[in-house]
Amino acid sequence: MTVALIRIVIAAVALGAWEVVGRLGNPLLYVPPSAVLPALGRLLTLQSYPDLGENLLLTLREIAIAYALAIAAGIGVGAALGLNRLVGRAYGPILAALYAVPAVVWYPSLMLFFGLDAVSKIAFGFLLGFFPIALAVLAGIRQVNPQLVTVARAFGARSVTVFRKVMLPAMLFTLVGGLRTGLALTVIGVIVGEVLGSKAGMGSLINHAYGLFRTADYVALVVVTLVLIIASDAVAGAVEHRARRWTS
Amino acid sequence: MDELSIRVRLLQLTSVAVLLAAWEAIARAGWLDPLFVPAPSAVAGALLTVGATALAGLGDTLAKTAVAYVISVVLGVGGGLVLGSLRPVRQAVNPFVIALYGMPKILVLPWIVLLLGFGTLPAIVYGAIHGVFPILVLVTGAVRDVDATLLTVARAFGARRRQLYWKVVLPAIVPTVLTGMRLGIVFCLLGVLIVEMFAGVRGMGHVLGSLANGFRAPELFAATALVSAASIIIVLSLDALNDRLSHWRGDAR
Amino acid sequence: MGGHFGAPHILIDRVDKRYATSSGPVDALRQVSLTVAAGEFCTLIGPSGCGKSTLLGMLGGLVTPDAGRVVVDGRPVDGPDPRRAATVFQDAGLFPWRTTLENIEFGLELQGVPRERRRSVATELLGPLGLRDFAGKYPRELSGGMRQRVAIGRALAIDTPIVLMDEPFGALDEQTRLLMGEWLLDIWRRTRKTVVFVTHSLQEAVALSTRVVVMTARPGRIKTVVELPLPYPRAMESAELVTLRAKLWSEIREESLRAMGEA
Repeated sequence: MTVALIRIVIAAVALGAWEVVGRLGNPLLYVPPSAVLPALGRLLTLQSYPDLGENLLLTLREIAIAYALAIAAGIGVGAALGLNRLVGRAYGPILAALYAVPAVVWYPSLMLFFGLDAVSKIAFGFLLGFFPIALAVLAGIRQVNPQLVTVARAFGARSVTVFRKVMLPAMLFTLVGGLRTGLALTVIGVIVGEVLGSKAGMGSLINHAYGLFRTADYVALVVVTLVLIIASDAVAGAVEHRARRWTS
Repeated sequence: MDELSIRVRLLQLTSVAVLLAAWEAIARAGWLDPLFVPAPSAVAGALLTVGATALAGLGDTLAKTAVAYVISVVLGVGGGLVLGSLRPVRQAVNPFVIALYGMPKILVLPWIVLLLGFGTLPAIVYGAIHGVFPILVLVTGAVRDVDATLLTVARAFGARRRQLYWKVVLPAIVPTVLTGMRLGIVFCLLGVLIVEMFAGVRGMGHVLGSLANGFRAPELFAATALVSAASIIIVLSLDALNDRLSHWRGDAR
Repeated sequence: MGGHFGAPHILIDRVDKRYATSSGPVDALRQVSLTVAAGEFCTLIGPSGCGKSTLLGMLGGLVTPDAGRVVVDGRPVDGPDPRRAATVFQDAGLFPWRTTLENIEFGLELQGVPRERRRSVATELLGPLGLRDFAGKYPRELSGGMRQRVAIGRALAIDTPIVLMDEPFGALDEQTRLLMGEWLLDIWRRTRKTVVFVTHSLQEAVALSTRVVVMTARPGRIKTVVELPLPYPRAMESAELVTLRAKLWSEIREESLRAMGEA
């Protein structure tokens, strides 16, 4: 109770400080919360950016395609590495080492290769989302109790059945965690790609507002994008929760 | 080395060799547009021409990263010790820390650049923003979860407050601090590179961006390989340090 | 040693302790009084939750009584004092990042004893502890019995007149437990420290103690005190011991049944 109160006070003080600084500071740099709401209103009524809908949709489509590719490739590669000991030991460390590289270094190459349109964003979102999914599948398969597999084999189950009936349920807990992280990173990848260089999409609008010093519109766009991100994570979180309740 | 390890090494080496050879062959056969995907030999050659520029850029980037990293570690470990030790403060502040940790920092990038301009300062600040949160969150948890029995033991043997920190809390959180530092360095480097790409005038991110804009694919690939190798080496050496300093945990990893 | 007169070494005078729990306050100790003479091996025994560990914590200065007082050698106990008492904890409580030797040195290190000095004290203890070949091992590399011996070594190293032991062998298997008991007895008879020992095991209490204090189920009170003026090593089959054990068992049984009924 008191803790909640203290948190509200902290949030209120932060907003208040922002308001004061925003009013005193250079309006090109600081936007007080009181100015964000009107800007948000103008944005949502399509006055400041009439093409908000198309851009939002494009970003969502890029995310969806990138995520679908990341899931397919992540599960495929993770399973290949997890199911074969030699392959896993050979390529697992390579995968882990590549994951240690800040992914943004690949982005200029992707931009060069795929151009400034949606494809380079999809490719970058895919790249970011792929690693956590592949590594989660790999970790998940490694933690499956081999005894369960032996039991299933003893009962005459074939490989596909073993994977579906034994391994998938046993690794689900780890897998859904990886899928959630993968989605978050895919979303970030697409938006980073759009901010760093694009002609359309939410990141491109943010960049546009920033370039013209339309700071209030910029903050409003950030708020909308943040809602998109939080909503996607909330959906993923709900799915994760369901899956975990089912496993345990 | 047992037989499996030998086979693993062999497979790794042949895979890389086969990949490079196939790539080279396909490029020479003219199936790939050299403007976009140059042959490995062309990339290797470009390493010589772009080497000096890329190394200078890398040095610049790593210097900024180092500053951002020191800030991240100091703030992350210091803040983690405070938040981990003081339950009321932790309860009040933690939701905000988690929210900031989870928030995609890309959204504030334009504002940081507006505020701090182009150059070194925004890169350091943005790198530190990336690096501090994973360290802060991990250290907070580690300090909170220090085995209460060990603290009781130390008090029973007459430890004062300062000794509790030096003899119990700090040694207990060493593995977590190192894990956080490993995550933190990659995040710092990421933040610095993004700023350099977005609004840089120097540094590796800027070099990569200009090479891409100039359609100089061989040089771009060479520079990308260089910075990737550098970050892998940094992370692997931190892993080695972690193994040495956390040996009392056995094979916990 | 039953013949000590004058001021008692340890005086526990009508102490109370109440804990706040989520299901309301719990009386851990009520009006507990006890004296322990120097050089005694005094064992506290009783059902789970009877406040044995709380009482031990008070002796160590880790728990403050709500009422009453604890006095050692005429001085009231108001906090941990490594010159007065050393504690051996239930699950060893070794520092996992310290080797055997470094764990044993811990108390001396806190007191600022120079490095060579504390190293030599700890090294000398390794022999009697049976840990000579394990000086450089980390706790995870030791067995349960060894870990407990390191914990005892850590307590002995600071050479206090009193050693407090909270179910030190509770987590060990039966055989190890018996051997550790014999070993502890040997150490105690050589050092002549005052030991206050908490256990669940009747066998252990009878084999080791000069006096056994039986405590009641919650709220913890002292039900009875049984003197065991028998020579060591004790033959478990001797008629005298069998009688004493039967007597102790009937006392404890009653309390344990009450504790079970309440739970």
